[in-house]
Amino acid sequence: MTARRGTEDVVLTGAAALSAFGRGMTALAAGLDAGRPAFGPVERFDVSGRRVGVAAATPGAPVLAAELADLLDEACDEAKLSTAQRAAAPLFLATHGDPELARVPVADRLRHGSTAFAVALAVAAGLGGAVRAYTTACVAASTAIADAAALVARGEVDRIVVAGAYLVEPDQFALFDAGRALAVDGQVRPFSAGRRGLLLGDGGGAFVVESAAAARERGAPVLARLAGWGRAGDAYHPCQPHPEGRGMARAIAAALERAGVAPEAVGYVNAHGSGTPQSDTAEAAALYAVFGGHAAEVPVSSTKALHGQALEASGVLELAVTVHALSTGRLPVNAGYTGPDDGCRLNLVLEPRTGDPGYALTLNAAFGGANTALLVGAA
Amino acid sequence: MNRRLVEGAQRAGLAVAASAAWPEPGDGPPPALAGFVHSAFNPLVAAVSGRCIERHRESAPTRTATTAVVLVSAVGDAASAAHVAGAVDHGGRVGPLFFFQSVPNAVAGHVAARWSLTGPVVCVGDTAAGLDVARLLLADGDADEALLVELRHDTAGRETATAVVVAEQGGLA
Repeated sequence: MTARRGTEDVVLTGAAALSAFGRGMTALAAGLDAGRPAFGPVERFDVSGRRVGVAAATPGAPVLAAELADLLDEACDEAKLSTAQRAAAPLFLATHGDPELARVPVADRLRHGSTAFAVALAVAAGLGGAVRAYTTACVAASTAIADAAALVARGEVDRIVVAGAYLVEPDQFALFDAGRALAVDGQVRPFSAGRRGLLLGDGGGAFVVESAAAARERGAPVLARLAGWGRAGDAYHPCQPHPEGRGMARAIAAALERAGVAPEAVGYVNAHGSGTPQSDTAEAAALYAVFGGHAAEVPVSSTKALHGQALEASGVLELAVTVHALSTGRLPVNAGYTGPDDGCRLNLVLEPRTGDPGYALTLNAAFGGANTALLVGAA
Repeated sequence: MNRRLVEGAQRAGLAVAASAAWPEPGDGPPPALAGFVHSAFNPLVAAVSGRCIERHRESAPTRTATTAVVLVSAVGDAASAAHVAGAVDHGGRVGPLFFFQSVPNAVAGHVAARWSLTGPVVCVGDTAAGLDVARLLLADGDADEALLVELRHDTAGRETATAVVVAEQGGLA
């Protein structure tokens, strides 16, 4: 197994984000810089029968398709895509599926498939290329970004628009509550002693993934370089990570290999850091397996402690966080920390910190032992 | 019985090393799958995957390869999702097992663990996407071969499953 890539350089030319801090990259940046978790009581639906009643949600009752449409417009506009360029661009959508699916008659379900949902969004946004839907749980968006980068690097397409969004809703909330996955203390504490689990959060993002040559030719702004990507499986358990983080380690190694970048060149890691006991330990083990001693030095934070777990959209939201850290040098904090865990001996960002990361890595993991790593370089 | 997926893979330029369907002649419902409840979705994925991998390994018993799992389904485990939605809407209890099977990754991970498939795990919504994801993972070197599984639903909610193991042309030699 050798990680390969095409010869085209890959860049990000448009970005948009949605989080409980508000709509837009500016709101996200302000929330990250403030370092205060966005969790609060859930008011969007009834949680009276649940063990936990907390999430990171925007006010009101936002509609998923409308939020995705806004994200797509914002990212395409920032990338200065013309109508014709939009019409030629594929859409890769990360989604749990059509929100209506679970409540339509059986005979109507096929009209509410995930690809049909993505096609409707693409048509409304004027995106006329091939459309696909990624439903790979918490690595759906990061896998879509990796695949888009791979296709662009191979010269198969000039640009691909990748988007994803999750809005806290009663079904997933009930499932995570029933699975005792939600933190009963109302805080997410990644890599910390005493961590109790995750909390859900609204999240979304959209990116224009483009070849550097195509961006240069049309004079488009470049936000960051997508230097490397990796995806690998644990082959261990339906919903638990390999205790040694084997799949994650191979995903990280593949991302570094594709970029031709040594571990020591990575100056910030936006970790998956779900705040669950096993997952955080496995991720720390993966970082040590690939980084060696540098794992104890590189600044690491999981911003899920601030904006919550956005499920299928995690990859795009956390890529937006990573681009913010890279472009501003302001590393977001790993909130909720109460003390060291011997299984997670990382250099956590516990206070706001500035620096020049050079390269930043954003990691995601999901049920099924699915792992991804995206390596981002400064523009 | 699995012509559609096999021919799709071939049109995508992939070599097909093995194929399977569930049901095939003589099949009843797929065997129950420990830890998964309520719907046929997850047992079907496990049954067709096992059948396809066993056929592949019978034909290439000493081969060691990194194998991706690519799962295609338009609506996922819609029956379980509808069950959960009903419980939420009517104040019923949501059983914890539904959490663990709430995404198609879970059964894909079961298949990966059962058969030691250490390549990437990817779930997508249509066949063309699944074929292209498999092609790309092979071209990118993140996998040597891919188990591509497709769950199809009819308008009555009945599900059938097909699977292929694919590699790049020449990659099976």
